[in-house]
Amino acid sequence: MPRIVPEARATAAQCRHYAMCKIDYLATGLCPSGPEKHFVTFYPQGRMDLYRGLAEGRIPVTEALLEAADTCSLCGICDPQCHFVTGLQPTSVMRALKAYAEEFRREGGQAVRPAEDEALRRLRAIVGRDWASNDPAVLWTYADDPFPLSGPQMPRYVVLPGSREDVAEVLRLARELDLAIAIRGNGGSVFGFVFTDGIVLDMARMRGIVFDLDNWTAAVEPGVTSFELQREAFRRGLRINAAEPAATVCGNLVCTGTFSTWSNVYGTAADNFVDMEFVGRDGRVFRLNEKAGPNHYAFEHRVAPSPGICTKAFVKLHPATDDEEGLLVPFADLDGAVLFARELGQRRIGLAVAVLGPHYIAGFLSPDEDLAGRLKEALPEALGVSHVVFAIADRFARDAIREMAPAVIDAGLLRLLMLGLPRLLEPRWLDLAREYEGGRPFELLCRPEMRPLVEAALLPSPETIAEAVPESLRPFYRDLYARPEMTDMVWLNMHRIVSARMSRRKHMFAFLVYVPPARLDVIHEILDGFARVAEAQGLDHDFGFLTPMDLGKRAILEYDYYLDHTDPAEKEKIARAMPELDPWLDGLAARVPGVMSLKYVFSQGCARKEGFLYRI
Amino acid sequence: MRIDPGTLRNKRAAKDSRILVTGAAGFLGSHFAVALLESGYRVTAVVRPAKKLGARERIDRIADWFALENEARRRLTVVEGDILDPGWAAGACGSLGTIDEIVHCASSTAFNERRRAEVEATNIDGLRNVLELADRGGCAFFHHVSTAYVAGRRQGACAEGWVEEGPFTNVYEETKARGEIIARDACRAGGIRLNVYRPTIVYGDSRTGRALRFNALYFPVKAAVYLRDLCLADIRERGGRRAAELGVRLAEDGGLVMPIRIEVARQGGLNLVPVDHCVRAFMALFEDALEGGVYHIANPRSTPIEDLIAYATRHFDLSGIEACGPGSFAGRPRNALEVLYDSYLEIYRPYMQDLRTFDAANAAPILEKRGLVCPAFDHGVFDRCMSYAVEVDWGSKLFAG
Repeated sequence: MPRIVPEARATAAQCRHYAMCKIDYLATGLCPSGPEKHFVTFYPQGRMDLYRGLAEGRIPVTEALLEAADTCSLCGICDPQCHFVTGLQPTSVMRALKAYAEEFRREGGQAVRPAEDEALRRLRAIVGRDWASNDPAVLWTYADDPFPLSGPQMPRYVVLPGSREDVAEVLRLARELDLAIAIRGNGGSVFGFVFTDGIVLDMARMRGIVFDLDNWTAAVEPGVTSFELQREAFRRGLRINAAEPAATVCGNLVCTGTFSTWSNVYGTAADNFVDMEFVGRDGRVFRLNEKAGPNHYAFEHRVAPSPGICTKAFVKLHPATDDEEGLLVPFADLDGAVLFARELGQRRIGLAVAVLGPHYIAGFLSPDEDLAGRLKEALPEALGVSHVVFAIADRFARDAIREMAPAVIDAGLLRLLMLGLPRLLEPRWLDLAREYEGGRPFELLCRPEMRPLVEAALLPSPETIAEAVPESLRPFYRDLYARPEMTDMVWLNMHRIVSARMSRRKHMFAFLVYVPPARLDVIHEILDGFARVAEAQGLDHDFGFLTPMDLGKRAILEYDYYLDHTDPAEKEKIARAMPELDPWLDGLAARVPGVMSLKYVFSQGCARKEGFLYRI
Repeated sequence: MRIDPGTLRNKRAAKDSRILVTGAAGFLGSHFAVALLESGYRVTAVVRPAKKLGARERIDRIADWFALENEARRRLTVVEGDILDPGWAAGACGSLGTIDEIVHCASSTAFNERRRAEVEATNIDGLRNVLELADRGGCAFFHHVSTAYVAGRRQGACAEGWVEEGPFTNVYEETKARGEIIARDACRAGGIRLNVYRPTIVYGDSRTGRALRFNALYFPVKAAVYLRDLCLADIRERGGRRAAELGVRLAEDGGLVMPIRIEVARQGGLNLVPVDHCVRAFMALFEDALEGGVYHIANPRSTPIEDLIAYATRHFDLSGIEACGPGSFAGRPRNALEVLYDSYLEIYRPYMQDLRTFDAANAAPILEKRGLVCPAFDHGVFDRCMSYAVEVDWGSKLFAG
């Protein structure tokens, strides 16, 4: 029996399944076998699962497992890719997996090769021999993710359709054979909605993007990720309202309606697209804009199924100007920040807008978890920053914000702070800030005259920020942070590549609620409620963000619970917390206009936002 | 009154009094607690646990710093507790039993309005909790450590009397003044004797330079030293571009020219009391002022800012820092260092150009009887204090080794 390396097993178990190794978000190139094979099995994420599956005795050594091990070239690309967002370095797992495979062969082991049954034969007839599998190792990589409320569920088949017609035929066959279908965009789902004992449809092969600049749209197939579409839009001087970078555009639109800090100006749900094409569960193809088609623009206040499988979305493109910059407006309390963000919405000032707490700010700015932890503590305690309003704004909007706010961290200062972060957190510097009694330390920091002093103190440079990461990764981080986009809040926020850092310390369980931002009492009630339930269960928790929408009349608020998904006790805690949250939130929603849990919007992302933001 | 002076004197002479000290891990609280122990009293220290240290560890560390004899340590009881906890008094009353006297040192010395909630919690709510314990726990004498700056914005001579109303310079002064009145009223109602001790600005030991806290006097000096080190590193290691932007350069003698103009009034200065004198004065008043009263512990001579600048520039091999009068910035606007410094010193300005004098009609006879005179703050004292501050890295290496 080949040996399992405990350290590699522990690393493999920590995989967050965010599929960041499936997008080339750091311009390192991708794991070479992934884009060729398309199954997640052949990406680092899949190999992490394979190793965990072997360690837990969940899967045998199969032909696909050996192939996945063999096709890893140990190129090391996955280390910086994964470290950037999770702090993990998967190469040790890849090495352990390859060693396991070699030892298995040395010991004369015979890899499992499951027989092709009738259903698989017919599925392969539709999509092609290479694109449907019943290999247990492949199935295992589609069976689990960190969602804490359910265990792994092995599908019978994983199928990768290549076209709308493939999708329709597979659906008809599934119906005929009475097999359940789960649709998977790019990786897993932190909400656990992509598992089935039937067929998992992985849309990774359908990757077409066609821009129609005259109509300000991009026609996007369901395997295209938000990062990839944004990258292409950005190259054309345009922008989309983007989901998390590894999320597929179509999947995210259908599931949540796609919200982001840009929803301040771009809206959410049906605001994001011009039309969408679906294959219904009966295999019939329809467009949302068809007059005779089903009306998925209407919102139903219940947990409803999705319209079907989205095979194309005509996504709205938005213009961008070359004078946009990011800035932060620091506040000493949440209320001030919420009211300011709302006012920006009301006055139509700025583009992306969000209220962020120390946890998010620290996570966004820090390439290392220890540094993030120290920054999270220092922001309120030493610098007097309780929350910030983050905004992307053109020069006119920036002038307005400067007039409205007592202190502004502009793009230049933000760059200095990012690149000099390890020095900012040195005790002597923090002591000076802590002991500063003249006002709020951040206000002093923001004064333009202080810039040379800040530079002298922080020594901002790619070398300085790289000091925060393990030595083996420093050369990579030095090169990475020498690239202007890595300190450009416009680029970072458009592509959302740092948002997954929120889960670096522990797996995140996000709660999203639409709220009326003018009702500070309601916002506090919500925050206190989430905090109370988390505290009662002993769960880590924190405020996420709040973004105004629809001219500041509404906002979306995120509150997050954090848990070690490998610890059964932590899973029990969240399982106990959930039944408390639902009735409380439902009661609040019934009482306060504008309060609506995203739970009800889920799978109704094509609806008009007015249907769930307002209740007539 | 719960106790008459004669009985109190006898009880103390028998070292039978049980004295509770709040804020015993703080600057003055620790010094007073140690002085009481070294004088043979039994002390119960109320201490909050710190992030990484329990209450006992905190006190042990401080006792080591004082080199407190084992014999004295045996008379010390450490009780973990937070006077800000609303239920603390009731709990402490049950667990501690009878407390004869309380020395209340726990205090927030923050000035900034943004920290009002924290300052009020400590200086008002915390005080009320301790007074509740005094009332319920049989305390006969309450020693309230306050500040001479309850005088607020008054000018000229400030008496050792109650300050019923402002105006005050900041939330610290305001809450300390309110605290005195609260203590007065509670003690009157409960028949508890009350001494109020009002030191001015307390710094390290004038003989050794040792200190446990490096705030107040130390802050601006520490900031200047930090800036000096930044600029020297920039000049020596990185070509000095940023230092030059700040107008900082090396002098011919190798010292640093750091051009900072500090705006000061032409009169007045800082009223500084070394901790050794403060402790001696406290013990004298504690032991001899048995009727109760209000007592200033002040320096009869203030130190002009110009003197402080001279001491600092000489000690730290700096030049370019100068005091200047109002209006000096009209012709030449502030540079970055001056913006920082000006902003840093703003809240201390009322104390830097203090024209108030602190009448000591109550304290002086008692202190004079023991021959206690407040040491002058001169260059030698400054040198000792700052050398120690640098040696312990402004407190971060205070307990190292």
